Amino acid sequence: MEAIKQSLIDKLSVEQIKVELMRTAFGRRSTLLSRFDPRVLLGWYTVLAILPWFLSNKFVLLGLLVPVLVLTFSSKVSPLVLFILGLGLVSEISYILIGSLLFGGSLDAVWPLMTLTLKLLIISLASIAVFNSMDPERFSDALLSLGVPGQFSFGVSYGYRMLPILIEEYHNLFYSFRLRGKAPGNRGLLGWRSLVYLVRTAVCTFYPLMLNTAKRTRTTVEALEVKGFTYALASPEARKLKLAYLRVGAADIAFLGISLLYLIALCVGGHWVSF
Amino acid sequence: MSTASAARIPQTTEPLVALSNVGFRYPGASSDALQGIDLTIERGAFVAVAGTNGSGKSTLCKTLNGLIPNYYVGDLTGDIRVAGLTAAEETVSSLSKKVAYVFQDFENQLVRPTVYEEVIFAPLNFGYPDYKERGERALALLGLSHLRDRWIWQLSGGQKHMTALAAALSLDPDLIIVDEPVAQLDPQRARLVYDKLKLLREQHGKTILVIEHHTEFIADYCDRVILMDKGAIRWIKPVREALSRVEELAELHILPPQVTLAAKRTLEEERQEGESALPYPVTLGEAAEFYRQRDVGSRLNAVDGGSGAQAILRGTAKSGAQEPVVRFDNVTAGYKTIDRTPHRVLKNVSLELREGDRIALVGSNGAGKSTLLKLISGIRRPSEGSVTVCGFRTKDVSPERLADYVSYIYQQPEEMFIEDNIRKDISYFLKARKHPGYAELVDGLMERLRLAGLADRDGRLLSGGQQRRATLAIGLAMRPTVMLLDEPTASLDALSRREVAAMLSGELGSVKTAVIATHDMQLVAEWANRVIVMHNGEVALDTDKRTLFSNSELLRQAGLTPPQITQLGDALNLYPPCLSVDEFVRRVQSALKEEVPAWKPSNKASSTS
Repeated sequence: MEAIKQSLIDKLSVEQIKVELMRTAFGRRSTLLSRFDPRVLLGWYTVLAILPWFLSNKFVLLGLLVPVLVLTFSSKVSPLVLFILGLGLVSEISYILIGSLLFGGSLDAVWPLMTLTLKLLIISLASIAVFNSMDPERFSDALLSLGVPGQFSFGVSYGYRMLPILIEEYHNLFYSFRLRGKAPGNRGLLGWRSLVYLVRTAVCTFYPLMLNTAKRTRTTVEALEVKGFTYALASPEARKLKLAYLRVGAADIAFLGISLLYLIALCVGGHWVSF
Repeated sequence: MSTASAARIPQTTEPLVALSNVGFRYPGASSDALQGIDLTIERGAFVAVAGTNGSGKSTLCKTLNGLIPNYYVGDLTGDIRVAGLTAAEETVSSLSKKVAYVFQDFENQLVRPTVYEEVIFAPLNFGYPDYKERGERALALLGLSHLRDRWIWQLSGGQKHMTALAAALSLDPDLIIVDEPVAQLDPQRARLVYDKLKLLREQHGKTILVIEHHTEFIADYCDRVILMDKGAIRWIKPVREALSRVEELAELHILPPQVTLAAKRTLEEERQEGESALPYPVTLGEAAEFYRQRDVGSRLNAVDGGSGAQAILRGTAKSGAQEPVVRFDNVTAGYKTIDRTPHRVLKNVSLELREGDRIALVGSNGAGKSTLLKLISGIRRPSEGSVTVCGFRTKDVSPERLADYVSYIYQQPEEMFIEDNIRKDISYFLKARKHPGYAELVDGLMERLRLAGLADRDGRLLSGGQQRRATLAIGLAMRPTVMLLDEPTASLDALSRREVAAMLSGELGSVKTAVIATHDMQLVAEWANRVIVMHNGEVALDTDKRTLFSNSELLRQAGLTPPQITQLGDALNLYPPCLSVDEFVRRVQSALKEEVPAWKPSNKASSTS
């Protein structure tokens, strides 16, 4: 028991979560999805995020789940992310079920809940697969090319640049609190006092982090000015130059085509099979 | 540097920068940030701007790339011409193509995720079709091509600075302005930056302007010094003449090179009243030549080589055995890299830190210094072996519990300010422990560290020196047995640096053992009584400071540069090594007074010791 607890603590330590986060964000992978044009991927994802809400046929939903699962695994998603997803789904089902039991429902509620869960699962896995595969730089360029304002699309990639620094600083600030703070002497039942203390510290840490970030941006805005960022916002040539590499190729068309054919086949199949 | 009517002379001979009667006032300010500035800088010059904080150095430089008055709107008067452009008619964008700027906090200047993205950012924004080539060229120019695909967060401080410089170079500017390169980098990396700037000037005809108060670098690289005081230019002089004005510089809290101070004092002993000795030697080479002319090397060795050396070395003998305050037993520690493979930062380290130890922890970046400190503070735990602090195994207790014995002062003061004013920050620890009468304790401490007037200010908004004093107070308020400091003198100007060093040498209350991780060899020479050299995660040497500085091979390997005065002693074959200007002058004086027994060629002298 002690060994399991220790290994769980190791897996969920701040350090470990940091590594997994960094891995998700910066582990350069070439996956199946990363080969496609980011705009095509965004479009594909948008359809997949909306469509399940209009379907209730479990055959079709399961049919959608299969390729999404395959794509998720091909994207080499971090186990931590999948774990959090799993945790979310299980708690979601549990609280609805408990709610329904409390108000006089029965286990019959499980079956319709499965439909909802299936929909959520498809959408979540699709987002994980797409955003895990898509380099934020390409995402940001895709947004720019789809007409989103330059400030916003730059913000996405700037956030990407700042993320590791913020994580590191958060970590240091968190320990600043702990190295001067006092943990509760009595840990309480199941250590709830300690848990409250740590969660409280984790939340407090965001305040100095925000103030430090605000201070930092002064140089950044000056530098952006010097590097011609505002100049580029008003210049169509710069935009064209920047987006020149985005091209929808044969592979993208094929990907969309196969997806569409598969969807049609599913809907036709769903006409005959339903449960 | 004439103030001739520049505009009428053909393009090629026009000075790159011509300011006449320039003044500037920030909106809402009660006094001028700049006044009556007349300045010309010829093409191909390497100029230093020196002066105290708030003397207008940065403001002056920001008028050259148009940030003033286009971004900082205020009252700008006078004429500014830069690279053939009249600044008043230009925008930041057009001036930025001619003037590159590397900021003091260059880390925040990097806005893209990778090195390559960063260097193509500016040319891409300005719509240059050859933006890729420009980026690649800038990287090649600084020898950074191997870093092309790195993430910015993976780079060391020196590499980040170089990347910021490369990004600025991608626009092929005429003038490069670098704001205090030495402040944020360790001496060896700062030298690399200066070497590149020198190369850019000599081989590519760039004009370089640095804001700098580290006079050793000014002496080695610049040919002219602009001294600023209260928003005006006090004078512009050739470098040797400028740095020889020792008293005037000291009055503005600028520390002349150590060799200049030594030579000045030696000359004062030699010369008669009223005789002028200016200019003094300002570089290591000049000073070595100056002392060789006086045959100091062979005389010193005749005196010091025998009993003198023994006397000096005896003073640094180690203290006796006691129960160690901190013990490392075969400690291995590290972290997981992004591909989940473990990376060992410390390998099998065994160490004992005793009461009375003032330890300087030195070594290049990545050698494991910070990890060692974090292990003592309990922030990190060893993967193998054990760390025992004041009788506790760090594995078994929480960092909060260890904090009763250990205080750890981060390199970045901002990361220690967790409250909105420094009085609260300093009280935090005592208040959390409901210490009776903590308010008086904190007041006393703030009085002592001259923070009383700043009690209600947010730590983040203080100056560098004040921030260091505040973090020192935070650490001392914890009344620790072990005090750990990470680079306490980094990025401070000469005055604040001296203050912090003096505080560390003074009364530290309950502290029995202090450890400072540092690149500042002058601090090591002044403060430490024990030096631990880290190299590749191992303890390469555990010794006293004199032995450290006599081991030049190890110093080179560990990426350390001894204080300039120690280097001068080394150049004169002085043994044991000299640690301070006072000591050097004393030893030289006594040698010069001595009758030399017999003439010996200086190159043989070292073999006698």
